[in-house]
Amino acid sequence: MKRAFLAVALATRIITNPNPASELKQLFPSAVSFSALAGDPLHYVAYAVDPKANPSAPPLGIAFWTTDMVPEEHGYHGPIHILVGLDLKGTITGAIVDYHSEPYGYFSVEPPKFGAQFKGKTIRDPFIVGRDVEAVSRASISIASATRAIRDGARIAASRLLPPEATK
Amino acid sequence: MPVGESWRDILAPQALDLALLALFIAFALTSFFLKHEKLKYAALAVAVGYMGFYKSSLISVSDIFRLTDMSLPPFKYSLTWYLFAGFVVVSTILWGRLYCGRICAFGALTQLMDAVVPARLRVNIPAKIERRAAWIKYGLLAFVIGYYLVTHDLASPVQYAEPFWMFTLFGTRAMWIGLAVLLTATLFVRNLYCRFFCPVGAMLGIISNLTVFKIKRWSECKTCKICEKTCEWGAIRGPLIVKSECVRCDDCERLYLDQKKCPHWLIQLKVRPSATKSAPAVPSAPA
Repeated sequence: MKRAFLAVALATRIITNPNPASELKQLFPSAVSFSALAGDPLHYVAYAVDPKANPSAPPLGIAFWTTDMVPEEHGYHGPIHILVGLDLKGTITGAIVDYHSEPYGYFSVEPPKFGAQFKGKTIRDPFIVGRDVEAVSRASISIASATRAIRDGARIAASRLLPPEATK
Repeated sequence: MPVGESWRDILAPQALDLALLALFIAFALTSFFLKHEKLKYAALAVAVGYMGFYKSSLISVSDIFRLTDMSLPPFKYSLTWYLFAGFVVVSTILWGRLYCGRICAFGALTQLMDAVVPARLRVNIPAKIERRAAWIKYGLLAFVIGYYLVTHDLASPVQYAEPFWMFTLFGTRAMWIGLAVLLTATLFVRNLYCRFFCPVGAMLGIISNLTVFKIKRWSECKTCKICEKTCEWGAIRGPLIVKSECVRCDDCERLYLDQKKCPHWLIQLKVRPSATKSAPAVPSAPA
């Protein structure tokens, strides 16, 4: 049953960037390899040591698309596709906005500056627009939606995929 | 509901925007119901300042596209947008293109321009051309919807088919040059964009055919041309008010109420000197 759900989820998800190799490298510069997008919920695993050479070495962290973690989150005009890296302690290693259809996204969520500010935040941070997240005024719906997607996506990913110490 | 989020967390960040929007709508409607010219200009100034430059909250073609693919923002996080969009649709059904004439920041801007630009600059377009040009906006509406359905490119229509981005102050050089040309032309032709080009205005023009509370006309309106000449929007044609062009600016309705200008009163006063006292408060002949 679970497999069937996974198959449906994989078949129906909107893929905007099927092979984000360079983006993953940006999130985990020291990784030597990444797993394929797999698991429930779907995610990538970043490895510091080739898992074929040493399967017992702990991974660096995971990366996920916000659209897989919080598919119901919509911005001004549909979901904003953000690739988020998370280390094993629940700290965000980076967030890269890959695709959006926000009318004013070109100056709100699209500039790399927006995603960059999430680097170093932990799943315990408040993520409040205007306080610890920069509010680009005049595009509040897009900014708020992208921020919720990163916050809730990271929290769900941490609780379901990271070792239990991360969410303690 | 996402991890650890209470209703308070959801409502608190929206409360101020919601309250200010409700206040602005109430103010604009007050100026409309009172037919008060100074209050109307105050509402227009607030529309430009608050709705425009401060919030950049305007109905855009992207809102129409959103309906075509039913991609609406989440309700609980977007209460202000739902109040705004809901008001625009409901007010258009009730009174016509009130949004265009009083709430839209760009429409408010060009109306304020019209109030300060010397009248001698104005070019009066022949009625024939004006009536044809009014159709351009419907063509543009059909074109941008078709373009969006085919390409799903949201950015280009928002950047090039409407000037509302100007309030965000983010634009490329080409966009600013286009805007400068448009605003310069608006010095000579009143409310140029709203009357001839605005796809949102076209959409609301279509909805305005449902208008419930129409502007009343006197029987004298069949022959009198005072209102027709005054109308900044080219919305009066003889005895008829063209609903899809009228933005409920009150200019003609203020004339109806003016007993020194409107022939309806002047004729009545001649026939019956006591008419001022016994005249009906509300004009009775429907459009």
